[in-house]
Amino acid sequence: MNMNNVILKAENISKYYKLGVIGTRSFKEDLQGFWKKAFRISGNEKINPNNTNNSSNELWALKDISFEIMQGDVVGFVGKNGAGKSTLLKILSRITLPTTGTIKGMGRIASLLEVGTGFHAELTGRENIFLNGQILGMHKKEILLKFDEIVAFSGIERFLDTPVKRYSSGMYVRLAFAIAAHLDPEILIVDEVLAVGDSDFQKKCLGKMKQVSAEEGKTVLFVSHNSQALKNLCNKAIHLEKGRLIEFGSTQDIITNYLKNEQDQPLKKVYDDPDEAPGNSNIRIKKLEVIPKYVDNSKIIDIRTPLTIQFEFWYLPSENIDLGVSMSLNTVMGDCIFDVDSIAQPFQKGLVKGQCTIPGNLLNNGSYTISLIFIRNTSSAIFELEECLSFDVEDFRENTAWYGDWPGAIRPKFKVLLEQEDL
Amino acid sequence: MDTEEKEDIKLNWQWEISPAKSWFKMGLIDLYAYRGLILRFVRRDLIASYQQTIIGPIWIFLQPLFTTLIYLIVFGNFAKVSTDDTPKILFYMSGTIIWTFFFDNISGTMYTFITNAHIFNKVYFPRLVVPVSNIITQSVRLSIQLVLFIIIFLYYYIFFDKFQLSISLLLIPFLILLTATFALGSGLLIAVFTARYRDIDTFFQYILRLGMFITPVVFPSTIVPQKYQFLFWLNPLTPIIETFRSVFFHQNAIQYNYLLIATAEAIILLILGLILFKRREVEVMDII
Repeated sequence: MNMNNVILKAENISKYYKLGVIGTRSFKEDLQGFWKKAFRISGNEKINPNNTNNSSNELWALKDISFEIMQGDVVGFVGKNGAGKSTLLKILSRITLPTTGTIKGMGRIASLLEVGTGFHAELTGRENIFLNGQILGMHKKEILLKFDEIVAFSGIERFLDTPVKRYSSGMYVRLAFAIAAHLDPEILIVDEVLAVGDSDFQKKCLGKMKQVSAEEGKTVLFVSHNSQALKNLCNKAIHLEKGRLIEFGSTQDIITNYLKNEQDQPLKKVYDDPDEAPGNSNIRIKKLEVIPKYVDNSKIIDIRTPLTIQFEFWYLPSENIDLGVSMSLNTVMGDCIFDVDSIAQPFQKGLVKGQCTIPGNLLNNGSYTISLIFIRNTSSAIFELEECLSFDVEDFRENTAWYGDWPGAIRPKFKVLLEQEDL
Repeated sequence: MDTEEKEDIKLNWQWEISPAKSWFKMGLIDLYAYRGLILRFVRRDLIASYQQTIIGPIWIFLQPLFTTLIYLIVFGNFAKVSTDDTPKILFYMSGTIIWTFFFDNISGTMYTFITNAHIFNKVYFPRLVVPVSNIITQSVRLSIQLVLFIIIFLYYYIFFDKFQLSISLLLIPFLILLTATFALGSGLLIAVFTARYRDIDTFFQYILRLGMFITPVVFPSTIVPQKYQFLFWLNPLTPIIETFRSVFFHQNAIQYNYLLIATAEAIILLILGLILFKRREVEVMDII
């Protein structure tokens, strides 16, 4: 087989699920269904993806998905939770059947929806290599041939004859992944398994995957939430949303559009009517806004993007005070990254405007919220506006082969300098 | 449209996934391709069941031996149930090893989807691999138990000059195969239904437990009243166990007509079971 060959072709794949508890009621429905079918009482009540009068206990997990995958492609699947990624992978892995449509393909297909499927806790590492390998579709001869390689890759030589129930979770995962990494199918399906294991091992696994696709011309279908890993590994991507295929194309474009979609939350809040705006007798909010200064034309807030927070409020003081505002930035987990304030000074009744710029290359990637506190005479709060704005900061990396999470509360851009002292 | 079709022919697809199902597929050819996995599961089950035990596989002997002893005391000595003049130990043992073989096979098969859901949800292989490997595992156990049975039989043969060896002993492998066929067929049918409605599983557990009383395990079929004899012999296990005893002890003539009915019943159940199982094996995963 040479490159530029279609190796897998999916046509009009849909998947229908009936929701709800299976019990007495569903038994009744089954009987009715059987009755209807047997005697053809009501006409053609066939399940049809175009029939959109969805009742509440029906779900189209996938609707009319078609795509073609070429040999040697590494295709990433992106989409929010519930977009249908897992269902699609399950259909491709033959774990569940499509309701409509067909998938045709060539060559051996192996799926890795989990590492260590079928591991038996009582059996030794050695026995489990064979067990798991054969469950994943390898032949015994193949495993024998690669046995030493698998053991070396996993780094558990000493514990090979110990039951896996005595393994640490790290060892368990490493052994499981080592087996998976030595699968040799024409098409490999991988689902989020990279989320496990220590960072060192993750790197090894991603490296192995890249090698498999680049050097051996294998086709890989890959689902991950890690957009950095997707960008680095995949040459094509498929964006799914609510069971539909939104876009199929080069990874860079798809990821960019997907992230833009993800960042679709309002970066601006305007309150025209002071009586309805958040506030109290002293303060009424008029406008809140995050203004990003995008560094390229991708229109995505990433770690390089400077962000200006602007706010306007009606000030209705009942006495003469010095007014100050402090702004804090918190992670979604509630940890405060920083808290900055203004100079306290007296203001007249009327509209007051404030702004604060968070420089680029300061924040790490993640989801953040902004809180504002209005302070009287630098001592007590007259109004607190918690989590009034939120935004996501995406990752951006260059010149690195490390795709794991970048640690740290912040991500400032200063370097460690190295210098050759002596030869 | 035309060009597309031509392209498809040229590309020569090797496999296809589609919702279409055939009524006539039993999945036996797939099974051959997965023989390595079947044997691997057999090995797993045999090794795993005796891990961390002191006497290990000796349990395979002890289980039927203890059961036989208890039957000997309760039914042989207290209740004084007839054994058709055969040595009690051999009578009960023959009943119990075949009954246990049947019971372990059918219960292993009927829980196929429920006990393996975690694997079936993550990787594909023909689901039939699991019940078939269970049958092979149980057959290994049965063979070991048969050796024990034959040792005791030879003891009576040599020292008490009882019984005679006859050509009909060749029926033994057929009887084992028949038991396995019956258990697999009915187990597969139950498996397909238990996945959706768990009541069915509770119901069959109950039936199975009662099954021992409509099967000549602890009593000979000769004590069953004449008017129920026909019904009693319709249970495939009756001719199986009775033939097994006849072959060794010669106390009654072999009922070939009932053996034939049992064979027909088992084959029909197996074919139905295989077809329904194959048809439903993937769909079941959506509801389990």
